[in-house]
Amino acid sequence: VKPILAKLKGDEGQIKAGLDDARLAGPTAAGAAPAIAEVLARGLSLPLTQAAIETLGDLESEAASPTLAQYTTHRNSKVRRAAVKALLRTKGPAASAALRRALSDGDPVVRGTAASGLGSLKAKDVVPDLFLALDHRVNEAAASIGQLCSMEQCEALAQKLGKLPFDVVTGGLDQVLFRPAADVNDDAKVKIIGRLREQGTLEGNKFLKDVQKRGVAAGWSPRVKQAVEQAVLATAGGAQ
Amino acid sequence: VSRSRSFAAARLACASLALALPLTTAACAGDPARPRTFSTDWLDDQGKSIGEVQARLRGARPPAGADLVVAVAGPKADKILGLPLLGAAPWTFSHALDSRPIIAGGVVVGAGGGELFALDGATGRRLWGRAVKGLTLLGAGDDGGLTVVALSRGAGSTLLVLARDGGVRREIETERPIGAPAIVAGVVFVPWANQYVSAIDATTGDELGRVTLRDKVSRADVIGGALYFGESAYVRFDDKIAMASRSGANRIAVPARELPGTPRLMVPGDEKRPTVANALDRDRLFARPSAPDGPIGIDSGRFYASYYRLVFGFDVARGQLAWVHTHPSDVIGADAVMGGVLLCDEEGKVVVLDGRTGQVSYQAAFGEPIQSCVAHADSYRSGPSAGNAPSLGQQITEAVSNREASLATAQRLLLRELGTLEDEGATKTLIDLASDPRTAPVLVTDARAALATRRNGVEYMLSSLGKHYDFLRDVLRSPPVGPIADALAAMKSAKGAPLLASHLLDDADTEDDVRRAAAALATLATKDELATLRQFFAMYRGGAESEEMALAVASVGQAILRLDPKDGRALIERAVKDPTTVPVARTRLEALLAASPADPKK
Repeated sequence: VKPILAKLKGDEGQIKAGLDDARLAGPTAAGAAPAIAEVLARGLSLPLTQAAIETLGDLESEAASPTLAQYTTHRNSKVRRAAVKALLRTKGPAASAALRRALSDGDPVVRGTAASGLGSLKAKDVVPDLFLALDHRVNEAAASIGQLCSMEQCEALAQKLGKLPFDVVTGGLDQVLFRPAADVNDDAKVKIIGRLREQGTLEGNKFLKDVQKRGVAAGWSPRVKQAVEQAVLATAGGAQ
Repeated sequence: VSRSRSFAAARLACASLALALPLTTAACAGDPARPRTFSTDWLDDQGKSIGEVQARLRGARPPAGADLVVAVAGPKADKILGLPLLGAAPWTFSHALDSRPIIAGGVVVGAGGGELFALDGATGRRLWGRAVKGLTLLGAGDDGGLTVVALSRGAGSTLLVLARDGGVRREIETERPIGAPAIVAGVVFVPWANQYVSAIDATTGDELGRVTLRDKVSRADVIGGALYFGESAYVRFDDKIAMASRSGANRIAVPARELPGTPRLMVPGDEKRPTVANALDRDRLFARPSAPDGPIGIDSGRFYASYYRLVFGFDVARGQLAWVHTHPSDVIGADAVMGGVLLCDEEGKVVVLDGRTGQVSYQAAFGEPIQSCVAHADSYRSGPSAGNAPSLGQQITEAVSNREASLATAQRLLLRELGTLEDEGATKTLIDLASDPRTAPVLVTDARAALATRRNGVEYMLSSLGKHYDFLRDVLRSPPVGPIADALAAMKSAKGAPLLASHLLDDADTEDDVRRAAAALATLATKDELATLRQFFAMYRGGAESEEMALAVASVGQAILRLDPKDGRALIERAVKDPTTVPVARTRLEALLAASPADPKK
C-alpha cells in the first residue's frame, strides 16, 4: 500500500500509476482506499476521476462508499455508472442510500444497475422503491425484490404476473423460490407456485419445470416439491 | 372600360331621387366635371367632387341595420341560421352556398347554386333571387330601399343595384376589381384600386364623385349610422372627407402593438369569404368606430383580437392588454359591438363580452355546430357583465395553461404580458409553465426569460427549487433553476442559497441552470453551503466538460474565496497551479485571486 500512497501524492501520471497498482492488488490494497478517496475529493481530470472510482470499487472498502456516493450525481453518465457499479462492491449504508437515489436517475443504465444491485446489499427498506421502479419499467428491480421481499411483498410481486412481462416477474419469483426457508417460508413459496399454475401458460410450465429441476438441489421441503410437481402437470397443456 | 346598362325602372328611380335630392339631377344628366365611372384618367380633384356628394347627402343617415348573427351550418354548408340579437326569433333558411352570406343593412345577401338571393334579416324570409352564373359574391350594402351587390367575374366585376322585389335597377360592369360597396340614400359607394371610393348614382350609374384615400381601401361599411371606408383603418364619410387625399379626413386605426398572429381588422372587400371558416377567421382584429358624429374614436376605448379560442381586449389609449378571455372552443366569427365584442364559436354558441372586463354579458346559441358566421350590430349594446372579473394575471394563467398547440403564438405574447405584471401569482404561473413537461418548448423559453426578470414571488421560487428531477416520482422536468437563480440574486435573497446549492449537484439540471445557480451563489451563499460548494469544486474543476460548467466552477470558487478567506484561498491557489484544472476555470480563478489579494493578517 505504501508505494501506492506515495504515487497518489504525485502528479497526474503518478496518480494514474498508483491507481493501476491498487486495481491490480484488489481488496488486499483496501488500505489505500481513504487516500484514493482524498485524491478524488481534491478533484481530478475526468479520465482520472473515472479510474479512481473504478479502483475504489475494486478495493471493495466500505470506507470509500461516502465518496463514491457523491459521484452518483456527476453530470457525466459514465462517471455515474462507474460510481454505482463501485458502490455495489463497497456496500454499506452510504452505498444503499446512494443506490436508492440512483433508482430515480435519468440514465436507464444507472437505474438498472442500481436496481439490480440493491438486492445484494440486503437493503430491505428499499423494496417499496424497487416496486416503484418496476412499475416504471426498471425491470432489473424484479430480481432485487425477489431477494429482499417480505411475504406480503413477494405476494405483491407474484400479482404482477400477467401485468408485466413474464420473464421480468419470474426473474424476481425465481429468487423468492430459492431463498432459505427461514427467510421465505413454504406457505409463501406454495402461494407463488399457485399463482404460476393459475396462469396456465406454456411459458409458466417451462419456468416451473426449470425451477423443479433446480429445486431438488436447493433442498426444498416435500410440500414445495409437490406443489411444483402438480403445477408442472397442470400447466403441461397450457396456452402459448 | 366601364359599361352601364339602364333598365326600364332606372329612369323612374332617377326621377324619384332627383325629387328627394336636387343635386342628383345634375348627376343623372351626366356632368362633364364628374369622373367617368371607374375611369383611370381622373385627376385627383382635391376632394371637390366627394365633398359635393357629402354635402348632398348631409342629413341622409344610413338607416339602422340589423342586429344579427348569421351562421352557415350543416355538413354541406347549405343551411343559413339567423339569430337576431334583440329578442326576435331565430330563423333558418336552406340554400346552396358558394360563399359566406353578407349582412347588409336589414337584409342578408347570399349566393350559391347559380342564384343570388336576399333574405329579410329579421325573419329569414326570402325577398328575392336572381340567376347569376359564374359570378362570385364579394360584398353588399343596403339602404333600406335598394340593395347593392358587388360580384366578381374572373378579371372583372359586376355591380348590381336591386330593389326590394329583386328587380335590377342598375347593372354596371367593369374590368376592374371592386371592393365591398355600401349604399346611402341612393348613392352607391364603391371602393376600388385600393385607393379610390367612387360615389355612383344608383339609378343612372354616373359617378357623382370620387375620393382618393391615403389608406388602403377595399370596403365601404355602414356602422352605427355612419359610413366608413377602409381596410386597415376606418375613414369616416363626413364633412372632412373632402380632405382625405391630404390625409385630413376623420380616420381611426387601432394602435400598433404586438398582436397574436397577423390579424386583419377587416376582410378585404375583394376577397371571397368561404362558407367554412378557415385559419384567417380564427385570427382577427376588431374595433368599432365610436360615433357617427364628433371626434372619431374607438368605441369603449377597446379593440379586440381573436386567436383560435383566445380573445384579447386591448386598451386603445395605451395599447395595453386589458383582459384575455379563454373560450371553450375556437372563435370563428366576431364583431365589435357597442360596449363589447360579440363572438360566435364552432359549437354554435354566441357570446358577447363586456369590453371593459372581458366577462360574458350575453349568451345565446344557434343550437347546432356551425361552419362559419358573420355578425353585425348597429344599435345593440353590450350590457355590463355580472360579478367581478378575475385579475389579469389569473386570466392570463388560464389562457397559457391551455395545452392546445395552436395557441402557442398567442400564449407567447401573453407570457410577455405576464412578465410585466406586479403580481406574485404571475411568478407562480411562469414557474409552473417552465416546470411542466407538457409545455411547448417555445413557451418554456419565454417563461424562463420572463421569470429571470421577476422581482417578487420569492416563496414560489423557493418552493420550486425544492423540487428535483425524479424519474420514479414522475418529476421529469427540473425546475427553472437558472432563471430563479438570476431573480434571487437580483433580489439578494439569501434564503435561496441552500436550495441553489443542492441544484449544483443535480445532474438532471441543464448546464445553463448550473452556471446561473453558481453565479447566484457567488453572492448569496453562506457558510452553510460551503461543504456543497467544495464538493462541486472538486468534482468539476478538472472534469468540467463545457464552458458553462467551467464558468460555474469559477463562480463557486468565488463563493468559496468569499466565505473562507484562509482555507478557501489555499484551495483556489492549488487549483490554479494544478494543470488538471480546466483552462477556462483556471483563468477565471487566477483573475479572482488577483482581484482580492491575500490579507497578510489572516
